[in-house]
Amino acid sequence: MIKKQWIQDLKAIPFLLPFFVAYMIFTIFPIFKGLEMSLYDWTLVRKLEFVGLENYIKMFTDRHFWRTLWNTTFFVILTTPTMVLLALGLALLSNLNTKLKTFFRGSFFIPSILSVSVISFLMIFMLQPYNGLVNNVIQMLGIDAEPKWMADQGLAWVTIVVVTLWWTVGFNMILFLAALQDIPESLYEASEIDGASRWDMFKYITLPQLIPIGRVVLLLQILASYKVFAQILLITGGGPGGATRPLIQYIYEVGFNQNNLGYAATMSYALFFILLILSIIQLKSQRSGEN
Amino acid sequence: MSDPQLSNEAAVRVKKTKSTVLQRNRDPKLGLKVTLGFIVALIFISPIIWMLFVSVKPNGFSTTQPLEWFLPPYTLYNYVDIMFGSLIFRWLFNSLIVAVITTVLTLIITSLAAFAISQMKFRFKNFIFIFFLLGLMIPGEATIIPLYEVAKSFGLIDTYAGLILPMIASPLGVIILKSFFDNVPKEVIESAIIDGCSYFKLFYKIVLPLAKPALSAIGIFTFIGSWNNFLWPYLSILSETLYTLPVGLPVFNSTYSQAYVQPMTANAIASIPVIIAFLLFEKQIVKGISFTGIKG
Repeated sequence: MIKKQWIQDLKAIPFLLPFFVAYMIFTIFPIFKGLEMSLYDWTLVRKLEFVGLENYIKMFTDRHFWRTLWNTTFFVILTTPTMVLLALGLALLSNLNTKLKTFFRGSFFIPSILSVSVISFLMIFMLQPYNGLVNNVIQMLGIDAEPKWMADQGLAWVTIVVVTLWWTVGFNMILFLAALQDIPESLYEASEIDGASRWDMFKYITLPQLIPIGRVVLLLQILASYKVFAQILLITGGGPGGATRPLIQYIYEVGFNQNNLGYAATMSYALFFILLILSIIQLKSQRSGEN
Repeated sequence: MSDPQLSNEAAVRVKKTKSTVLQRNRDPKLGLKVTLGFIVALIFISPIIWMLFVSVKPNGFSTTQPLEWFLPPYTLYNYVDIMFGSLIFRWLFNSLIVAVITTVLTLIITSLAAFAISQMKFRFKNFIFIFFLLGLMIPGEATIIPLYEVAKSFGLIDTYAGLILPMIASPLGVIILKSFFDNVPKEVIESAIIDGCSYFKLFYKIVLPLAKPALSAIGIFTFIGSWNNFLWPYLSILSETLYTLPVGLPVFNSTYSQAYVQPMTANAIASIPVIIAFLLFEKQIVKGISFTGIKG
């Protein structure tokens, strides 16, 4: 019996090995490597001396770290509720009983398959002062204004949030749409017989049925927003005056522009723990939602 | 009314009205909602339409009148110019080759691992599965600095392999495929084993063909993810000839920051293939999202 088990184990190895090796090298090992790096002075070229917890102490007193972490958190606060509501609204529109629904779904979803570089530069050109499309349309409507979308702190945030919503809402919309279509028709029929109004149906049937998926969208959105980087880098460059610079951009700058991979790895760890805690909350709440 | 065809038509009509009643089509505000949806949809695609129109404008075109962006003259000269006069064609090729190989390798290694965990009996199976599950909680963005160091020590910086290999071990892929393989009827597998079928044959002759929907969902998302990946190529590629489109485009666009036409043509060249792919695979993509999104 023992001998047979060995043969079984050996047979599984060729199936497991390719994934296992790639997973160990590129997913698991970097976690430990990051821990090592955070304890050293480490440049782009090589490892220097052991500095113990110095990088961690530096992080806690680094105002740029706290500022960029706050910027990222602010981005999460701005985008998450609007994303959930917008995704729900678009899903309801896409679920209308009309011949246009394929057009609706396509239009809402297509931005999310475009590259972040494309959507960022599209926005830069559309939002340019003097001859950008958006300002021209504003003036065509008779409003005499020339907003400088990237130069003003408030407008820069508006730009980034609107671009992000436009770019990524399609995915979330489809999650809501799938959930909408899973609601049993019989519930509506029964309530119709009872004389419920359409608003009642929405309030007492549709919304409660969407709560589980709403929770998934909410948590996925928080996780995704904490990883924000590329669209901010490309649209505002983190400006004006660092007002929109997110944590990942700061990590990148410390690592690759200031040649300090050790400290960059330390801050990656901070982000790692934030995201880990959020993932655990997500898995937990998903499980409790299933039960 | 005795005409059989007429009464048949009437019956169809009655049936139709009945079914629309059941679909709650008596919404008095439907027209209003559809109009709202139409306007929102137009707002959503207007930047893309604008991009396509600007991309066919003559070189140096610029205007302060919104409508003029959409009116002639048009020309395709920019497309020819950019395809042959810049590295964009090369970047397009890089993106494509990296996305295709990443997708193929991901599908191979995740399906092999999922098969073993789903169908084979070996020691520490649950432990290994949970160990793979942990990967779901490890965000790639947060380990990107040490990943750079790891890739460097393997000589993977500034290579195609460096763009591909770190991306292929997808725990989500293993989980989705495992649950799919679990649903393959036991009788099918048992009878195949009794017939002397090897595990490998069982895998690629029986189980894999049954898992096509899951494989295509994972394949489409791996492809889109790789095609649009920005952070890792941005860090790991140094030579311009190895850039992928997302990394190359910003370089291209900022060299032309005062012009409109060339950057928009470049963006259009990067977008048209994915838009066409979306229109072709719309159903699978939508199904795939609702499928992977909820389970993930």
